[in-house]
Amino acid sequence: MKKVFIEGAIQPGFVAQAIAKHQSKKNIGAHNIFLGQIRADEVDGKEVTAITYSAYEEMAREKMHEIREDAFTKFNLTCMHIYHSLGEIKAGEVCFFVFVSSKRRKEVYEATEYLVNRVKSEVPIFGKEVFASKEFQWKVNT
Amino acid sequence: MLTIKYFGMMAEVAGCDEERLALNETNFSNLILVLHEKYNIQKLAVQVAVNRKIRKQCENFRLKDNDEIAVLPPFSGG
Repeated sequence: MKKVFIEGAIQPGFVAQAIAKHQSKKNIGAHNIFLGQIRADEVDGKEVTAITYSAYEEMAREKMHEIREDAFTKFNLTCMHIYHSLGEIKAGEVCFFVFVSSKRRKEVYEATEYLVNRVKSEVPIFGKEVFASKEFQWKVNT
Repeated sequence: MLTIKYFGMMAEVAGCDEERLALNETNFSNLILVLHEKYNIQKLAVQVAVNRKIRKQCENFRLKDNDEIAVLPPFSGG
């Protein structure tokens, strides 16, 4: 099964390298990228400074595999990469990277939306929002 | 004895990442009942996975010693 989790933030250089790796695949005509970034939300006057992510990794990998297979069946894609961070990711850093490629653009827009929605709602990843005071609260996706 | 894994907020509620439980009857509805009594899980919006598949809390089936059981709070990836 493909590697999904990355310890720490997803670095801009990692995204750049992922783009570079696809330049040899000349049947691709459209890439689409989604990057999830940690937002400094304000909760009761306190600012979120980081989110600490953990996961039920065995189940997450199986679920991610199922979602990938479904997306390949549903859309005409050339390739697909999904990465999510684990550990503490600071506000402003990237924690989620979805990269979809196809011959033409229509498919990649739809596939990206589909993948992001399914990963958020079905993959057992848990985020703890940390405040400057080191207090925290468990995040719930809305 | 069954091994139960806890994640995220549920690991805090349980005070551990994993524990072994002995049930009178080794089935899913009995497990849910024990978890309700022990941790009041109906208030926590958790889901329970057996062998990495989420099962409905109203289901009932036999559990085996080596089944992988996990109690999962709401997901918040992305």
